[in-house]
Amino acid sequence: MIEVKNLVKRYGDLIALDHFNLNVRSGEIFGLLGPNGSGKTTAINCMLSLLKYDKGEIRLFGEPMTPNNYRSKQKIGVVMQNVAVFNELTVYENIDYFCGLYVNDKRKRKELVEEALRFAGLEDFRKFIPKKLSGGLLRRLNIACGIAHKPELIFLDEPTVAVDPQSRNNILEGIKKLNREGATIIYTSHYMEEVEQLCTRIMIMDKGKEIATGTKEELKAMIRTGEKLTVELFDLPEPLLSEIRRVKDVIQASFDGEKLSVNCKTGSHAMISILDLLRQNGMHFGRVYSEPPTLNDVFLEITGKQLRD
Amino acid sequence: MIFMMWNLFSRNLLCHLRSKEFFIWMLIFPIMLATLFYFTFSSLDQADQLQVIPIAVVEEGMPEEDSAFSDTVRSLSEKGDEQLFQTQFISEEEKARQLLKDGEIDGYIQYENGKPGLVVREDGLNQTIIKSFLDQYLQTKSSMENILQENPQLAERLPSLFSRETVTEEISLSQNAPTSKVNYFYALLAMVCMYGGMQGLNVVSFLQSNLSAIGARKTVSPAKRWKLIFADLSAGVTVQWLAIILVILFIRFILQVDFGPQLLPAFLTGIVGSLTGVSFGMLVSVPKRLKYSAKTALVVAVTMVFCFFAGLMTSGINYLVEQKAPVLAWINPAARIVDAFYCLYYYDTYYQFFLNIAVLLAMSLVMFGITIFSIRRQRHESL
Repeated sequence: MIEVKNLVKRYGDLIALDHFNLNVRSGEIFGLLGPNGSGKTTAINCMLSLLKYDKGEIRLFGEPMTPNNYRSKQKIGVVMQNVAVFNELTVYENIDYFCGLYVNDKRKRKELVEEALRFAGLEDFRKFIPKKLSGGLLRRLNIACGIAHKPELIFLDEPTVAVDPQSRNNILEGIKKLNREGATIIYTSHYMEEVEQLCTRIMIMDKGKEIATGTKEELKAMIRTGEKLTVELFDLPEPLLSEIRRVKDVIQASFDGEKLSVNCKTGSHAMISILDLLRQNGMHFGRVYSEPPTLNDVFLEITGKQLRD
Repeated sequence: MIFMMWNLFSRNLLCHLRSKEFFIWMLIFPIMLATLFYFTFSSLDQADQLQVIPIAVVEEGMPEEDSAFSDTVRSLSEKGDEQLFQTQFISEEEKARQLLKDGEIDGYIQYENGKPGLVVREDGLNQTIIKSFLDQYLQTKSSMENILQENPQLAERLPSLFSRETVTEEISLSQNAPTSKVNYFYALLAMVCMYGGMQGLNVVSFLQSNLSAIGARKTVSPAKRWKLIFADLSAGVTVQWLAIILVILFIRFILQVDFGPQLLPAFLTGIVGSLTGVSFGMLVSVPKRLKYSAKTALVVAVTMVFCFFAGLMTSGINYLVEQKAPVLAWINPAARIVDAFYCLYYYDTYYQFFLNIAVLLAMSLVMFGITIFSIRRQRHESL
């Protein structure tokens, strides 16, 4: 459905997209994950023909994407990072206006607008002007305006920025519903939990380049860390920490004065060895918990920095 | 396609009509400014009008044969447009002195040694007028007496000798008197027209993905750019026309400012002027690298410069520019709008009026053409 080959976009000396490649299949919820400034929004803007690019090729629905490719544009829905609604129009009028850019038939448009209102949970707010809506409801209106015409391909660029948890869940559930109804979705975010929860495939980006692509399981399998162990304790002498680092299957260990954090290889039994070692050295510890690696760990291990750096 | 256009047009129209900025800048501000002009000019007019001067004539000592003086004073005291004095004929000087002291009269005339003389308490315009009248009367009387003494055969021709008929005839180009006062109102209307620049600026800005999120949303839609421009522009121009017509009606019927014998050409001026204003705003919106706030400031600043040279702040500056730099006067749309209105007020023919309308239309066409050519396939280096 989307094919991007060797896309290069420069802002003066800064390379925003560096031979960027992307392949999105029909029916996917494809996540673009990366820190701020990694090139996610630039990539989307190039794909939508909003931005000129220096090199590369973009094909949507099998056709080259240009500003005049109205046939492809007809099948696309966009939810921008910034809320794009008219402050003077009501919720209903806003959705109707943007739906009207795609659908001429008044009766059909009315049905679609009603459906979008239901989808976004805005039925009770149809006569409200945007100023009267809370941040979460405004974001939902922004989404409703972008998807009311039932597009086949939807670009959602950080749609949950500054949204309360309840509205966020509502939005994420809505996106899953759109996907179940047949829409292919490109979702960008720097919230890894959202991307993990939502996306069927994920591309991790940094500095305008693809770092890794795959399902969340595939991405996690790419790194050595299989388990993250955390032990609460008050003190840990440096020699003992060095000894822990030498335990079999331990990749990395650190102590921040309250917690010992240890990354271990997949399928290892390092936890028992580490706890034995602490006991033998008379260390009293509190809670112990183990968790699988996150996408942040994937990003950390590949790039050497945190996703939210 | 028509349904789509109508939907876009009607929603845009709603946006404009519900916008507080529209009401403040396009209706309330010009109406308030016009009202302010009205009251300012009314008080100036009152100050300019000659007031009837209260005087007294003391009959005590007036020679019986000098009835000509009292007849002249009486004729100048008759009620009407040419009344100069409000005269009390008083028998004793004491009463006249008291009236003067009480401020009820500006001066009194009393006879001394058979000649009228003036008594006043202070210097002033009214006192000068009474003195001038008296001097002129005495001079005329003396001249008549001399002529009668030396050439008594001319007695019958005396009235024609002293009549003040002019031998030149003043022919006006118009039924209306020339005035610079109406120019302020016309310059105000020119300002409202040029404020249409904000409509033009918003229309294009809301289509430019680098200037607004709404612009980006419209750009990624399958709606063709010319359709979006046409629908948005129609809505913008419609509200602009509505505003200018309402302001013209207010100035014409509430403030009673003359726009000539017919109002339709005045509406036409407002409509064409608004079109020029909107096109100007569209042209300003074209440069890609300028921020929206900078473009807004540019529209307002250039509009004020145009209006200043069209005579909004200083009367007569438009004529000065027209004399010293006629090209600048002709490329200033606000000056052309003012001139078009003035032509309707002053001239009985429409030649100069239609010349102004043609220039405004040509300007609009050029600015609109440049805008469309520049933005039709605009994509941006950065968003």
